[in-house]
Amino acid sequence: MHKDDQMTPMERLTGFLTGGEMDRLLAMPFICSMSGKAAGMTHRQKRATGRSEADCQIANYERFGHDIVITEYGLHTVGKALGTEMGDPEDAVPHIVHNVLQDLDKAEELDFERVLPQNSPDAQKHLECAHILHEELGEEVPGATLICGPFTAVASIMPTEVLLRAVRKRPEVVHYLLRQCTEVLKELHKAFIAEGQLIFFCEPIATGSIANPKEYLEFVKPYTIELMQNIHDNGGMVCYHICGDTKRILSYMVETGPDMISIDNRVPLAFAKEIVAPHMPLLGNVDPVEKMILGTPEDVEEAVKECIKVGYDCEHGYMVCTGCDLNGDVPLENLDAYMAAARKYGKMPVGPQNWEN
Amino acid sequence: MAASKEEMIEKLYECVVEMEDEDVVDVCNEYLEAGYSAYDGIMDGLVAGMNKASELYDEEEYFVTDVLLCSDALYAGLDVLRPKLEASDMDGDSKKVVIGVVEGDTHDIGKNLVKIMLETAGFEMYDLGRDVPLDAYVEKAKEVDADIVAMSTLMTTTMGGMRTVVEKLEEAGIRDRVKVMVGGSPISRKFADEIGAEGYSVNAVEAVKVAKELVGIE
Repeated sequence: MHKDDQMTPMERLTGFLTGGEMDRLLAMPFICSMSGKAAGMTHRQKRATGRSEADCQIANYERFGHDIVITEYGLHTVGKALGTEMGDPEDAVPHIVHNVLQDLDKAEELDFERVLPQNSPDAQKHLECAHILHEELGEEVPGATLICGPFTAVASIMPTEVLLRAVRKRPEVVHYLLRQCTEVLKELHKAFIAEGQLIFFCEPIATGSIANPKEYLEFVKPYTIELMQNIHDNGGMVCYHICGDTKRILSYMVETGPDMISIDNRVPLAFAKEIVAPHMPLLGNVDPVEKMILGTPEDVEEAVKECIKVGYDCEHGYMVCTGCDLNGDVPLENLDAYMAAARKYGKMPVGPQNWEN
Repeated sequence: MAASKEEMIEKLYECVVEMEDEDVVDVCNEYLEAGYSAYDGIMDGLVAGMNKASELYDEEEYFVTDVLLCSDALYAGLDVLRPKLEASDMDGDSKKVVIGVVEGDTHDIGKNLVKIMLETAGFEMYDLGRDVPLDAYVEKAKEVDADIVAMSTLMTTTMGGMRTVVEKLEEAGIRDRVKVMVGGSPISRKFADEIGAEGYSVNAVEAVKVAKELVGIE
């Protein structure tokens, strides 16, 4: 347990979920792709094995004492299992070099069996990470697996531009791929839940900056409802995150039935609070670039305070989170400042006395 | 009776706004057969339609998907009308822009839209594509004597590369001859200032305004 805390993250989360005691608000700067930094590993070293991925998370937890450790199944792993070619940079998140599906008429030739947990070496690696974190830290810190939603999974199979055109011109192919992705994601969710993981359900390609609300309703929402239901049927819990501007689809996101929603800094927290807070807990949304990467520790403290001032009285609870994942350029001092601010302004009982005078 | 030139231009405009990438080819051919000027068809029909699509995007009526399909229609039309341009229509001193998505990132929808917008506005575009090695910007800028180097990225993890390109332009001794503009979801005015990029735009529409200001047009 971190020296400045009075409870472990697991005790705190239990308090949060049961309406019991908490020493402070839950706080989760999104420590995922940059997790090697605190452990002295490059991204390539971090992603090499389940053990190294877990060691990075453990090193971060030991320094910051934040409330979740993350396993990164990631956004491209479905496509990679099917044959999408990925880059292998030393110290950055691997990017897509060539999508496996370029010709829509070949969609049915893809072998989705290869994505299933037992058949995919990458899934095995991340399951091992989840297993280690659960074994070694599970009693103290909750673990979550970051995994793509169905629409983002399809974008890891074919270029996004092709996908967006197909949404209008070949909707039947898009639905076919969404169906296949939904089925394999169900199996993946089940496998990670069995390792004691919460699901961090990320759907960046469905952002309101790219697709319109009508397309969200037709291509994203139905499959998402099914997946949320499957997570619950398997005894799991899920946080739903879509990057970018989601103002126009936020109420639909609530209707898919997640346990909580996390928003990007492109959506004002007060706006999200009105739509999300009556139904479920809200997470957000310290600016990962302006504040966490480019800001000073003082800027970070101020940003965390501003978020808590808006979010602290959400009916179903609030967790102070960054608006998106952080990269390796984030100064570790800013993460220290983030957690110190969460401890100061989020101290229970949380209220204006924490930040006034 | 054959349609008037104005009616035909209106049709070209509508094809782009309504994303009719097949019909536009027929309309373009019909337009040429009637003997009307290719240049007017491009500027007052196709390009005006693309501008309208940009406005609709700005007003959040259109989304990236719509603009993408509008640009498909624009290109399909340009393929027909461009070969028929008169020599006198070509703008001789158009400004040169080297554009690309920085190394480590292959998200190029935004970059492609900016390229189309700038091309439509009369800039001469050199597209390096996506996942562009940082040295390639400098080499190309030197080679074509570029006025602007434009970089985009969608990922926070690759933003740092933009700073490196600015430094490399300095090392190459051409920093004072070329303006740098940056964009993409995680990029902000603050980031642009910090790395010393003169131009930043939130979206593809504004990129045209920014580029024009940088090179002193209008």
